[in-house]
Amino acid sequence: MKKYFIFAFCFIFAMTLLGSVALADETMDRINKTGKIRVGLREGSIPFAFIDPKVGKHVGFSVDMTYLLVEKLSQHFGKKIKIQPFTVTPKTRIPMVANATVDVEMGSTTYTQKREEVVDFSYIFFFSETTFLVPKDSPIKNIKDLNGKRLGGARGTTNLKAIEDQVAAGRYTPKAIVVVETHPQGFLALKGGKVDAYSTDRSLLEGLRMKAPHPENWKTVDFAIAYEPYGYMCREGNSDIRDFVNNTIVWSIKTGKFYEMYDKWMGPKGVVPIPRSKAYEDYLQLICYPQAKDWWKKK
Amino acid sequence: MGLAYEFDWSVLWRNPYGMYLLQGIWVTIKMGLIGWIIALSLGVLIGTMRISPWRWLRFLGGAYVEVFRNIPFMVQLFFWYYAGPMIFGKSIQYQINSIIGLNYYVAIIALGMYTASRVAEHTRAGFSSISRDHHQAALSTGLTHPQMYRYVIIPYALRIIIPPLTTEFLTIFKNSSIAMTIGVLETTFMSYKIDSETFHGLESTTGACLIYLALGLAVVKLMGILESRLKIRGTIGR
Repeated sequence: MKKYFIFAFCFIFAMTLLGSVALADETMDRINKTGKIRVGLREGSIPFAFIDPKVGKHVGFSVDMTYLLVEKLSQHFGKKIKIQPFTVTPKTRIPMVANATVDVEMGSTTYTQKREEVVDFSYIFFFSETTFLVPKDSPIKNIKDLNGKRLGGARGTTNLKAIEDQVAAGRYTPKAIVVVETHPQGFLALKGGKVDAYSTDRSLLEGLRMKAPHPENWKTVDFAIAYEPYGYMCREGNSDIRDFVNNTIVWSIKTGKFYEMYDKWMGPKGVVPIPRSKAYEDYLQLICYPQAKDWWKKK
Repeated sequence: MGLAYEFDWSVLWRNPYGMYLLQGIWVTIKMGLIGWIIALSLGVLIGTMRISPWRWLRFLGGAYVEVFRNIPFMVQLFFWYYAGPMIFGKSIQYQINSIIGLNYYVAIIALGMYTASRVAEHTRAGFSSISRDHHQAALSTGLTHPQMYRYVIIPYALRIIIPPLTTEFLTIFKNSSIAMTIGVLETTFMSYKIDSETFHGLESTTGACLIYLALGLAVVKLMGILESRLKIRGTIGR
């Protein structure tokens, strides 16, 4: 019995030690000390952070944002800060930020209240919209037009759940909801006339459309039925680094670098063309709080 | 962050998940029963074709069996659902595709036709096990060929193949779970749906297992009764 008590005591002691070490470690201090920032990056989140098979490196919108962040960090500390990339997945990204394996996650993580309890989020930099892919001459123009239509969605996606919830809430009454297994099958169902509109994230729909033999025959509708806001993640309670990330985002919007990066990945000639909606453009302008010209300078 | 999995069995009956499962069970039972009616009638017909004296009928029956038996059911289902309507050309294709609940109908028909190929083989085996003497005895009493099959051979053969058909009847319920892949809201689909909404996949899958087990046991019991009612002394059973 005594042995167990000692073991339990040691275990609890070790855990508190670990915890206190994690808390005492200020992210900015360590970046300064080691000259490195550990960044969590996704491998397959096109066009935000993915591995380019040609060069075997992480590329994407969020990766470009990382370069911008590191450029500013280097100017802040007055020395070259290096990126140490870590690959994260949707399952590991939150634990890896929470347990300080990575300093910041730059990907496409949806900002939720549940996650906010464990990590800190930067400003929202993008909104993934649940919307519909329809034939070019489709009569579906706004949310009311969904009444009496056959809507498609993939099993187990948040998009399908959003449709089902809104139907249950009485926002519109489709003729049928057709469930498919994968997005390509959903597109096939749309092509064959099994559904009038197929639903998932706008970026994924645009990706499907671009791969079709005649992309001009299809379009995503202008409205969205649900939004998923994306933010970058830092460890809970490390407000300096989060402020720095926010400053970088705002600065990039003010200087136009944000739009350059956006057009590079999501512009008409980008990897996945996603037109910026009016609401999104307005949002980007509205979050620009006043900033000193040389905000990155150490005080 | 909790690492241990916390069981919550209430996802099997809590609102709305209990209703999901009930709906799923109902669809599974409907698919299995209607599919089975198709499979049995078509299967016996094709099994009979395979032993008929006419070469062309034998060939057609054989071709049917080989095509349907040798292609995985899931692939058949995909083919009928996505490519099937395209065979008829653009305008008819759109008409077929505009049927509400098409996936459900396609699943039932595909299930019936796939199982029919297997029933046909059992039927053929049943027929082959009946000795030539019975054929000749029937014909010598003045029955025509179709009459011989109708009144002598088929009633005999059907009794012999009851045990293998029990397996097929069970299999049709189990195969109906594959209809999930074309979006039919049956038991497996619903258990996955509960998983994706509650993250209690272990419980919902266990629920689905128990449902299939109960369905299977019911089928075995039913067929057992049928078998003992219809048995002919000296053929099956003692």
